Amino acid sequence: MLEMWLSGFQGLLHVDVFLFVVLGMAIGLVFGAIPGLGGSTAIALLIPLTYSMEPFTALALAGGVMGSVPMGGSITSILLNTPGTAPNAATCLDGHPLAQQGKAGLAIGAAGSANAIGAIIGTISVLIVLPIANDIVLLFGPPEFFLMSVFALIVVATATRGKMLRGLVTGAFGLMIAYIGYNDIAGGERFTYGIEYLWDGIHLVPALIGLFAVAEMINLTVKGGTVAKSATAVKITSMTSGLFETFRHLGTVLRGSLIGTTVGAIPGLGGTVVAFLSYSVTVQASKNPESFGKGNIQGVIAPEAAICAHDCSALIPTLTFGIPAGAEMAVFLGLLIIHGMQPGPLMLRDHQVEIYGLIWALTASCVFASFVGLAFVRVLAKITLIDSSILVPLVLSTAFAGSYAIDMSIENVVVTGVFGLLGYLMMRYDYPRLMIIVALVLGGNIERNLHQSMLMGEGGWSIFFARNISIVLMIAIVALLALPIFRALFKYWRVRTVSVGE
Amino acid sequence: MMKFTRRDVMISAGLAAPALLAGRPARAAAAEFPTRNIQFVIPYAPGGGFDIYVRVVTPMMEKYFPKRVSIVPINVASGAGSRGVTQLYRAKPDGYTIGILNVPGMFILQQQQGSAAYDLNKFTWIGAIGDGERYFINVGVNSPVKTFADLKALSAKRPIKFSVTGPEGTAYMATKIGAQLLGLKTQLITGYKGSADYIIAAVRGDSDAVVAAVPTTMRFLRGGQLRPVISFESRSSIPGLPDATSVGQPELEKISVERLVAGPPGLPAELQNILSAALAKAVTDPAVTKWGKENDVVMKPKTPQETVAILTEQKAFFEKWKTALSAS
Repeated sequence: MLEMWLSGFQGLLHVDVFLFVVLGMAIGLVFGAIPGLGGSTAIALLIPLTYSMEPFTALALAGGVMGSVPMGGSITSILLNTPGTAPNAATCLDGHPLAQQGKAGLAIGAAGSANAIGAIIGTISVLIVLPIANDIVLLFGPPEFFLMSVFALIVVATATRGKMLRGLVTGAFGLMIAYIGYNDIAGGERFTYGIEYLWDGIHLVPALIGLFAVAEMINLTVKGGTVAKSATAVKITSMTSGLFETFRHLGTVLRGSLIGTTVGAIPGLGGTVVAFLSYSVTVQASKNPESFGKGNIQGVIAPEAAICAHDCSALIPTLTFGIPAGAEMAVFLGLLIIHGMQPGPLMLRDHQVEIYGLIWALTASCVFASFVGLAFVRVLAKITLIDSSILVPLVLSTAFAGSYAIDMSIENVVVTGVFGLLGYLMMRYDYPRLMIIVALVLGGNIERNLHQSMLMGEGGWSIFFARNISIVLMIAIVALLALPIFRALFKYWRVRTVSVGE
Repeated sequence: MMKFTRRDVMISAGLAAPALLAGRPARAAAAEFPTRNIQFVIPYAPGGGFDIYVRVVTPMMEKYFPKRVSIVPINVASGAGSRGVTQLYRAKPDGYTIGILNVPGMFILQQQQGSAAYDLNKFTWIGAIGDGERYFINVGVNSPVKTFADLKALSAKRPIKFSVTGPEGTAYMATKIGAQLLGLKTQLITGYKGSADYIIAAVRGDSDAVVAAVPTTMRFLRGGQLRPVISFESRSSIPGLPDATSVGQPELEKISVERLVAGPPGLPAELQNILSAALAKAVTDPAVTKWGKENDVVMKPKTPQETVAILTEQKAFFEKWKTALSAS
């Protein structure tokens, strides 16, 4: 296996293959940055280009694209509060406040280095896990997915400390709109009012763009001025400060990468949830959770590490079973099949060199993209000094155009507009926006997996107790809910012993 | 007397020109077709089965036109495919927009959505990408069920759990009709997101059995994960298995997924013929045939008449089973 690993790496060292990786990286950066476009669009557009290529080269190109998309997305998230791709929405939460404080360079640097480290950790995990990936993917079924989704929902909900009631309200609203659309469990449409567009429900990316980008632009217009509050702070950010911050919070990076890798290997939750989950776990584990949402650098490091780690390990279910862990992976699967590589156990046997080449290309692209981000930090930070009268129309037009471009429907633009207004109101009245997104993404998952579990268990709840991993997850959920109680009890006990000791 | 200025001549030329030019429509269009890129509408997301077939065939199709142009596949994936179909239906019938349609998937979808935006009978049919796919019933390789007889015995004791996509999908239809024809009691676990998803469910043991198309079955069979127990073909392509003939249910073979290519209603016959010929030659191109063999897809060309015949047959089959499908 080691020789295969090395020969995959050697394959990348040919000039033409290497150039394709760099080309893919550049394309991924641009597509990741523009909201509405993303890895899936980029790869779909590149497929015709790859017809005449060797499979190895085609995979190197695809890997190049997939590795740099998160970095591209994080740049616009931080600077303009516009998530370039759905998972980057978590980066907006603390990344943009940092930009507002003039620390955009710091944030981009931290995002870049977190990306790179997350990718490396993700890759190492993939290489270790790939031989046994078969069995791992088979261990997780609808009961486990249901419990994982509930777990994720609870983690994210409890992270909105101090605003718990508002978090629950927005979460409930998110769940409510998650169920709009065609119900593919029993058939029939729900709340679509005969509108054909709503058959697929509220499309996630247009809603995201509205909730974050448009809302922020409305906010900026109302307040006036520039994104960064003070020009002096912007001038002193340097390339290394972001890097330094990431290494200072290595624990956060590792934790984020771990979450990204484990959840990515299981085709249940997806990149968006992973990013928010990592963010929420970091909030929970932090000593001053109130500082999040106002520019805590850990709020940038955690999701970015998770996203890149997730992108690497999402290859596991895609390659071993052909189950795409997201839209990007689905298109990538198509690329594989067109080039004659059928995903499955045979692929791991017959195309090992290509797979390792792909994994190396992905990692290399992620690391290069971070360097590109770091190198351009000074220039990018200047964007926060552009006056809102120029910035707002520019961003709004890009946001709406990107929203339309997802699948050429004007209804996407309407959704973006509506959610933009909603997002602004939520900002004004201090309601956490992340709950809507997580609920929107997880709502469908939760219902479908619960339904399937019940059908599997023939109507009883016993199925959850019959499987090992389900039991573990249920204990985890109970522990999570009991955690605040234990914390309070612990504090009380400590106070008592101290006072008794005196 | 009126003086004819140059201006007047220009104006009259300008007014006359459309009338003169309008007299050259279809004849000239057919003679010069194609002069620019052709759009190929795929009503599904990139990376899916139909998308792959189109992207394999269209580069070959480009070679077989009188003039070399590009065929640009565009994915219009909203509404489970209905948006793409509607877009094709409303496109200008000038030969520059064609698309691929899933039959009987489109019938099912139209019934579920109650959409009156398109009439499947009015499309101009051009051909098909390969033969329709037939189905197998499979079990996980670790399942206690080893043969079709075992499956029938199990069905006598309790309903067999089949994992499928949703009611708007062809797998659902294939499972229900197949089970009814074979006399199996079933319970469908619906809601899986794709064929790989619901097949893994069977491998994992979440469901007892799964209905899968021939290429997908072969892929998982070779990977050592699935065991087919019966084929819906009239002659099973895997030796040693019961098939539609041996169980005496020839209708099983009618359950299939056809990949039909069509143009908007009103496409002139000359353009239809050019497109049809190019498609047929592309499907029989050696590169496409080779890919088909490697992926267990039978790439046989179809004339427009054969395509219409397939459509009519599928429609009749669907009408017959429509009520059975809506009942749970």
